[in-house]
Amino acid sequence: MKFNLLAIIALFISVLSFTSCTEDDEPKTLAAGEVSIEFDHVFGPNQLPFNLNTEYTHQRLGEKMTFSMFRYYVSNVRLKKTDGSWYTVPESYYIVDLGVNDGTHLHLENIPGGEYTDIEMMFGVDSLRNVSGAQTGALDPAKGMFWSWNSGYIMLKAEGTSPASSDGSFAFHLGGFKGEFAVPTVKAYSLGKLTVDGDREAEIHMVANTGRLWHEADGLAVRSTTHMPGAVAKQMTGTFYDGIVFDHIHN
Amino acid sequence: MKTYGIIGKTCLFFGLTVLLSCQGDRDTLQMRYPGYFPEPEYTFGNNVLTSEGFDLGKKLFYDPILSKDSTVSCASCHAQEHAFADHGTALSVGVGGKMGSRNSPAIVNAAWQTSFMWDGGINHIEIMSFAPLTNEVEMAEDMNHIIQKLSRNDLYRSSFQAVFGKPKIESQQVFYALTQYMAMLISDDSKYDRVKQGKSAYNEEESAGYSLFIQKCATCHPEPLFTDYSFRNTGIGSKSNDTGRYKITLDDRDVYKFKVPSLRNVALTYPYMHDGSIRNLRSVLDYYSEGIRESDLLDPSLYKNGRPGIFLTEDEKDKLLSFLNTLTDFTFTTNPLFAE
Ligand code: HEC
Ligand code: HEC
Repeated sequence: MKFNLLAIIALFISVLSFTSCTEDDEPKTLAAGEVSIEFDHVFGPNQLPFNLNTEYTHQRLGEKMTFSMFRYYVSNVRLKKTDGSWYTVPESYYIVDLGVNDGTHLHLENIPGGEYTDIEMMFGVDSLRNVSGAQTGALDPAKGMFWSWNSGYIMLKAEGTSPASSDGSFAFHLGGFKGEFAVPTVKAYSLGKLTVDGDREAEIHMVANTGRLWHEADGLAVRSTTHMPGAVAKQMTGTFYDGIVFDHIHN
Repeated sequence: MKTYGIIGKTCLFFGLTVLLSCQGDRDTLQMRYPGYFPEPEYTFGNNVLTSEGFDLGKKLFYDPILSKDSTVSCASCHAQEHAFADHGTALSVGVGGKMGSRNSPAIVNAAWQTSFMWDGGINHIEIMSFAPLTNEVEMAEDMNHIIQKLSRNDLYRSSFQAVFGKPKIESQQVFYALTQYMAMLISDDSKYDRVKQGKSAYNEEESAGYSLFIQKCATCHPEPLFTDYSFRNTGIGSKSNDTGRYKITLDDRDVYKFKVPSLRNVALTYPYMHDGSIRNLRSVLDYYSEGIRESDLLDPSLYKNGRPGIFLTEDEKDKLLSFLNTLTDFTFTTNPLFAE
């Protein structure tokens, strides 16, 4: 302990003296701060504002649907600096959940100050965390996004009611991390220039279209539930993830 | 094998398989197993094994508070005197008298297992408990509700705090503690082990049985763990109408395959097979010898000269039974360290 303290003091002094020498010729260093990502949700080609407990008609299927739950995992966020290097956000696992207050708003804390040009994120949970035992935070199985009988994360849950379904309801629990039906998908977006500097606002707005779960998949009259990995999970999440786009930044 | 920093204070031998040393204010435990065992699959990692953590896991294992109506504990279906299989019932009874469709397996040398459940659907010992805790036909409880109940209980709150040093109980701690208990259920003191260690010798019949076993059974049940943890179709699934491994992989070649069970303590884990459909060991041997029917999905190693099954004379069956009985480990089934 004593040694550590000494080392920290020594480091502190050397940093101080270093910065004081170079202060004049270097640009001001930016302070670490929060980057937030807001997911706005829309439904269908007309981009209707999407909310739970509201009836929508899926244009391609001609089916009415009302959602009571819409949740999905976003993970492994990285930010690209202007010098081309990447900053990986540690332990970045989040559930976007339309059913809870502020649930569509991800808060990435303590991001090093600087300017960033691109963001990369994974939709779903990487295969490693699906096989690594008991996890915490967003990955806590108590969140209801983990299959107990066939280990692995439920990467997307959509539930609700529909007159098109034979029993009046629908429930899609989609996931899978192995082989050809692996769901997790990495996407990168160009941001322009996002500045992180202490308390200054740095907010990224994304748009996700919930109707795109059925962009190619069978309608609710044909299939109203899926509770396992496989071709259906891959297809539905695939078209949904595909339709998640970058919209704008605030900073 | 990982060794934990043993400070030269009091180091005690505890039971046969457990070494206790002292580190800080928690007693660090170490897994012990014979040199002829392979390296375990699970080595605790972030889940620091301590005697307090093990004790907490044991308390949870025996406590019905974890079930929805406080009637069923893990031990209801996994009893020490049966090597942590059920009390001789084919299908176990859970909350509200509900019954599942599979036989409770023994919990023996679980730290060596590569997957859990008859179909291998569970990929890690730490999240093993999640299934029975939440399954409708087992303990039928909700994880958040379990944590609420434990947090309201002063004894549990202080135990969790002492073991994990966190302000709140989380599911990870419940899983970690149960894992500490389960992973330490090591059976390595059967007659087979004593012979292996030169402390005992087989009689003639056991010795002949051992040779037969190595010839006829060890392709799937190799020593010293008596399983290779692979998935095989021995023809039981087509009778119970359970597609087994296929449910997990959705691969047509896996229809009716089940995890090869360990045969350690097999004399105590009756009835047998994933559906508990075979009542005693003699009948298991009768099944292997005369009961297996031709089927294109049957494991290829079960064919001899184009004929399905492993043919055994009655004399060979007697010898095999004698050997299988040497796999019973009473030190394990009576170890007070594992008892409630
Ligand atoms: C109602 C009876 C019941 C209860 C209660 C129960 N189990 Fe089980 N257990 C089973 C059955 C049945 C299986 C096999 C299920 C399968 O393969 O589908 C099993 C499988 C297991 C296995 C896997 C063994 C192997 O060889 O793959 C472990 C480990 C286990 N249970 C531990 C526990 C723990 C820990 C608890 C308490 C949190 C518990 N069980 C509660 C019946 C029960
Ligand atoms: C092709 C691989 C294979 C061979 C060879 C094999 N077994 Fe098995 N054994 C299995 C599988 C798989 C199971 C579980 C089957 C099920 O439940 O559907 C099993 C189950 C058992 C069980 C029931 C254990 C329990 O706890 O329910 C016993 C006992 C057993 N085998 C003994 C033997 C003996 C003795 C031999 C040699 C005569 C043998 N086995 C040969 C694969 C094999």
